[in-house]
Amino acid sequence: MSGLRVLVIIPAHDEQESLPATLDELRAVAPGLDLLVVDDGSRDGTAGVARARGVRVLRLPFNLGVGAALQTGFRWAVEHGYDAGVQFDADGQHDPATLEALLEPLRAGRCDVSIGSRYVQRSGYRAPAARRLGMVLFSGLVSAVLRVRITDTTSGFRAYARRVMEVCQHDFPRDFPDAPLLIALGRRGFRMEEVPVRMRARRAGRSFYTLGTSLYYPYKNLLASLMALLQRPAQP
Amino acid sequence: MVFLSRTQVIAAIGAVLLVLYVLDLVRRRKLSEEYSLLWLISTVVVAALGFSTPLLVWVSRELGIVQENSTVFAFGLAFSLAMLLHLSVRLSRLGQENQALARELALLRHDLEESGSGRAPAAAPAADRA
Ligand SMILES: Nc1nc2c(ncn2[C@@H]2O[C@H](COP(=O)(O)OP(=O)(O)O)[C@@H](O)[C@H]2O)c(=O)[nH]1
Ligand SMILES: [Mg+2]
Repeated sequence: MSGLRVLVIIPAHDEQESLPATLDELRAVAPGLDLLVVDDGSRDGTAGVARARGVRVLRLPFNLGVGAALQTGFRWAVEHGYDAGVQFDADGQHDPATLEALLEPLRAGRCDVSIGSRYVQRSGYRAPAARRLGMVLFSGLVSAVLRVRITDTTSGFRAYARRVMEVCQHDFPRDFPDAPLLIALGRRGFRMEEVPVRMRARRAGRSFYTLGTSLYYPYKNLLASLMALLQRPAQP
Repeated sequence: MVFLSRTQVIAAIGAVLLVLYVLDLVRRRKLSEEYSLLWLISTVVVAALGFSTPLLVWVSRELGIVQENSTVFAFGLAFSLAMLLHLSVRLSRLGQENQALARELALLRHDLEESGSGRAPAAAPAADRA
């Protein structure tokens, strides 16, 4: 099963500085994969730099959030007959050289969601203490609930099988597609597997996560994780 | 031991029921986590004031409120105001987003009419989407 049609979905918000190099690198390293940029109400030339490279762009009329942008991409992928979708950051933090390793479990039919993890192997990545605590907490929670070891719940580098995208196009968190999403997908019976990846520094600009985010994030994700546990699991 | 007054207990029980209802709304996805935050904080504070007389007495004294029951309702009122303000802000944003959608639609319809020259799509019956 190597003939998967794969769409790389790149959510981007004000990424005109980083996006060109990210797209060029993807084209060079993974020429067989189709690319789709979802421009989430950018105020800069994000859509323009992608189109200039002949990359397909879906433009949202205003900012909806990473999750909603990704969901738009899933919808497009499902409607256009793709077998798998990869979530890929616009800022250059993900290494296209690890795309094949990420897709391998899907190609082999071992799982439905493959997660690029920074922590399966030591990769020299160190987050600030508060963020580390949160990551330990959420990965413990997800692993305990799903009985699969998930070390990186916040990874934005994942591959989703078509049947997962079919579900997600209707139901997906608008803001952070993290721990509650994994719990909900696991309870639907989708299998997950982590693949070690290394993450690089973002190419330009700043991360969109702010102080407000870091206060709201634990509340939202703890509550939503709890609710994902209480919701009746639907069948895949 | 200071006895709990009846109003206090009623307010506290009401708050607890409200917390449960809010959580159930989130579980059934009728309410998003974002909106649940203010509801949960406010009801938890009112419940805490209602059930804990020492806390209520202390807060009332610090705020210079003579009637302890008023403290419970003052907090309830303050949170209601905060909620209304929050909703007004969100409503404004929703209005702006709605306008942006309408503008986008006008551009799209223009392009569609240009490309399909002559076969202009009739105005979509808006009532269908209610
Ligand atoms: N669609 C969309 N994408 C976003 C938004 N904010 C960030 N992104 C994208 O999500 C990816 C990761 O964002 P980033 O801020 O680097 O998060 P971090 O890597 O976790 O610090 C990048 O490709 C961003 O362009 C947003 O509001 N909407
Ligand atoms: Mg980043």
